[in-house]
Amino acid sequence: MKHSRKPRKSKSKNREIASLRRDRGFSFAFLAVAIIILCPLSSFAENCLPKIGTYGGKLILSTTSDPKSFNPILAKETSTTVITGLLFEGLTRTNGITTEVEPNLAQSWEVDKSGLVWTFHLRKDVRWFDGQKFTADDVVFTFNRLIYNPHIPNSARDIFTIEGEAFKVEKVDKFSVRFTLPFKFAPFLRGMSQEILPRHILEKKVLKGEFNSAWGLDASPGEVIGTGPFRLIGYLSGQKVVLQRNPLYWRKDRAGNSLPYLEKLIFLIVQSQDTALLKFQEGELDYYALRGTDYPILKPGEKEGGFTVYETGPAFGTNFLVFNQNRGKDENSGQPYVQPKKSDWFTNKRFRQAVAHCIDKDSITDIVMNGLGSPQASAMSPSAGFFYNPDVKEYEYDLDKARTLLKKAGFFDRDKDGIVEDRAGNDIEFNLFTNSGNTQRVQIANIVRKDLESIGFKVHFMQLEFNNLVIKLNSTYDWDAVILGLTGGIEPHFGNNVWQSSGHLHMWYPRQEKPATSWERRIDNIFNRAVQELNKEKRRKLYDEWQEIVAENCPFIYTVLPDSLFAVRNKFGNLHPTSYGGAFHNLEYIYSRTVSQLNRRPFLNSIGEVSP
Amino acid sequence: MTSYIVRRLIIAVPLLLAISFVAFMFIHLAPGNYFDTLRMSPQISEETIKKYESQYHLDEPPLIQYAFWLKNLLRLDLGYSFVLMSPVTDVIKKRLFNTFILSLAAMLFTWFIAIPLGIFCAVRQNKFSDRFFSALSFVGLSIPNFFFALLLLYLASLTGILPLGGMRSANYEDLSQLGRFWDLLKHLLIPTIVIGTSALAGLQRIMRGNMLEVLRAQYITTARAKGLPECRVIYIHALRNAVNPMITIFGYSLSGLLSGAALTEIITGWPGLGSVMLQAVRSQDLFLVMGSMLMGGMMLIGANLVADILLAWSDPRIQYK
Repeated sequence: MKHSRKPRKSKSKNREIASLRRDRGFSFAFLAVAIIILCPLSSFAENCLPKIGTYGGKLILSTTSDPKSFNPILAKETSTTVITGLLFEGLTRTNGITTEVEPNLAQSWEVDKSGLVWTFHLRKDVRWFDGQKFTADDVVFTFNRLIYNPHIPNSARDIFTIEGEAFKVEKVDKFSVRFTLPFKFAPFLRGMSQEILPRHILEKKVLKGEFNSAWGLDASPGEVIGTGPFRLIGYLSGQKVVLQRNPLYWRKDRAGNSLPYLEKLIFLIVQSQDTALLKFQEGELDYYALRGTDYPILKPGEKEGGFTVYETGPAFGTNFLVFNQNRGKDENSGQPYVQPKKSDWFTNKRFRQAVAHCIDKDSITDIVMNGLGSPQASAMSPSAGFFYNPDVKEYEYDLDKARTLLKKAGFFDRDKDGIVEDRAGNDIEFNLFTNSGNTQRVQIANIVRKDLESIGFKVHFMQLEFNNLVIKLNSTYDWDAVILGLTGGIEPHFGNNVWQSSGHLHMWYPRQEKPATSWERRIDNIFNRAVQELNKEKRRKLYDEWQEIVAENCPFIYTVLPDSLFAVRNKFGNLHPTSYGGAFHNLEYIYSRTVSQLNRRPFLNSIGEVSP
Repeated sequence: MTSYIVRRLIIAVPLLLAISFVAFMFIHLAPGNYFDTLRMSPQISEETIKKYESQYHLDEPPLIQYAFWLKNLLRLDLGYSFVLMSPVTDVIKKRLFNTFILSLAAMLFTWFIAIPLGIFCAVRQNKFSDRFFSALSFVGLSIPNFFFALLLLYLASLTGILPLGGMRSANYEDLSQLGRFWDLLKHLLIPTIVIGTSALAGLQRIMRGNMLEVLRAQYITTARAKGLPECRVIYIHALRNAVNPMITIFGYSLSGLLSGAALTEIITGWPGLGSVMLQAVRSQDLFLVMGSMLMGGMMLIGANLVADILLAWSDPRIQYK
């Protein structure tokens, strides 16, 4: 098992030093969008059979901000998708343990020899919250009238459009749907976790042109109709979202009892992480996602507080250093975006590799993440499982090696002033940006800068407002080096816009007409081939090669992946937390162990009332 | 008087227009717009973002955008919040009441403590009690709100008497009318103290200063010489004269009733307008920012008017024509 290797873990001796405050609310809210939109709620692996639970009880969670809508098609970020992911389901879903695609609203599917025509057979026992039957019409409606509707801006369309061509979605019979793809598309099944919406409720709104405001925050809870395990019963702005068990939910446990077990889910809206921590310690919350600094506070209190802190390994959000390799010119002024001398440095592979040797990953883990992080070498997170390639070139922290590499490439201190010069005698001097508001990233930048200065670079570090930074990366291209992060996921193709040289997120040189270097051409090639490769093993080989090329050429110089950490009260049964799915990927199987006692209480009370 | 008020209200219209214009242009000075955040998502194409932008005319030059905004304003439509995906009026309406009760409570707290305390300290100038209360209110002034709020929450978690933030308990719906009121009051206490104490010191000092000045006046010596009882001298003769500047300040503070206190709201989990507005500014949620600007401007103009009217009522020397 190639991908099961455990990442090196640096043990922190000085957890106290770290005083990091990760700004979750604001910094990169979109970080998790990608994963969550596609894979709402993942399922329980067949290999670890869930126990039969008891009904009732509630789970109280917190979220840092209000949902923005209850409409999954319009949802753009996690505070929304975390709710809609429970109300709606797709034809497939991703298993939270194995990260494999498994049946959901579709019970089976087949693909023809060309790999282009997919037929899905839908479950016949699925009902919407209002009792109406779920049929093929709903699927066809969701794709043809919502996702591909030019009047409804949505990001799902970007996934289901290949080279500008939409998929053909047709009803075969009441419970079968046929998708005809313009090209072979390997991540198709994973993409099919797209939430399906009810035609009988929304068709009128689409006809009236009201869909873009349908199921907004002002909708009455009963209006929001899905097929998920829970339905919306209340929302108080800035306070809470309340979901209740869907009695019509189709999934059943081994004994044939209908799921889910829990009666209620309450999401308290708690903007401040510190307040959420107090609420968790007090017992008001059943779940808390830890920052590195919270670990020494919560861990010793596990027994007393009746909860467990789970460490499920590296998370998906990356932090990396990237140099501007843009060789283009500004059309208006005719000036190159990057000064030619700087461009020579940044496009030099040895230069980037030397910088990679200057990243002190252990210090970053200890100081920024309180010891709870893992160094990142490959472009995929180790938690990604199948497509993760552990055997890529790693750059250990070694300043001497960095100096040797630089010298080989012609960069060394020629005039003995302590600053490294290039062949033409220019001092190596550049700006390093990151976005303000993300404390973690600012701390990483400071550590990286210190090491770059000690090998003789002149680095000017500046924090920029996020939007300002985006404009630099995206349209004005006037930057030298940036420390930034991106969402990761388990499907490499969904990073297509980052890795293809024509992509708008190909940060080091976006929107190239043709690849500037041979290794970028190779990556383009790999992505174009892999997306059409339906054989999993062959696909993995291609993506392995991609990760090797990235590690060799260092367009992104990776730093450290934070570990995912969360604490859950011990009263819940069937918990099986994973890095990919988090604590509640199998939410419908989770039950509250305290319920049996709770149920007895009203009974005792009634006796008490009878006898005075 | 009525004509004066009417005149003031008419002047308010161009004033508000100017405020909104300047605000609108200032927002556009900041680089980018709300949708730039989406640009960094690997799965959202540029075409989709362009569609979003043209949906709200964000691809037009600022002047034209302002014209669109004004046109909608005439129809009493404040626009649409990008972040919260609902009309701005809805967003404000939902939070308005919460913000109002918190601000009102904090204001009552401040004024009902600051005024008597100011008088008390003035009467006992430079005695121990004066110094003690002044020191105490300065402590309140110097503790940063967010820290004080966290401290109180921590205290609450230790003692378990008060709820840990939020506005209502989980079982709010099951409570009786009185229980609900009590529940709300308990949740209100911590944010009220936090916001209230920050304004306490200033007011208390101003009241004390005014009072001291008046107490030195000759008519006070006269009143005392006539043999009037001390409480009459202080509460009737001195206070009436010392309170005028306070009325002006009171008027101004009315304008803050609906603007909310973002940091305290965020930490104590109070669902007010302040945190929504802060988020709106940070994420460049254009129309929501404009809506709150407009509301703030209206409150300020209105509160000024109220202060002037109150002043005329309390001091017969002031007259408007």
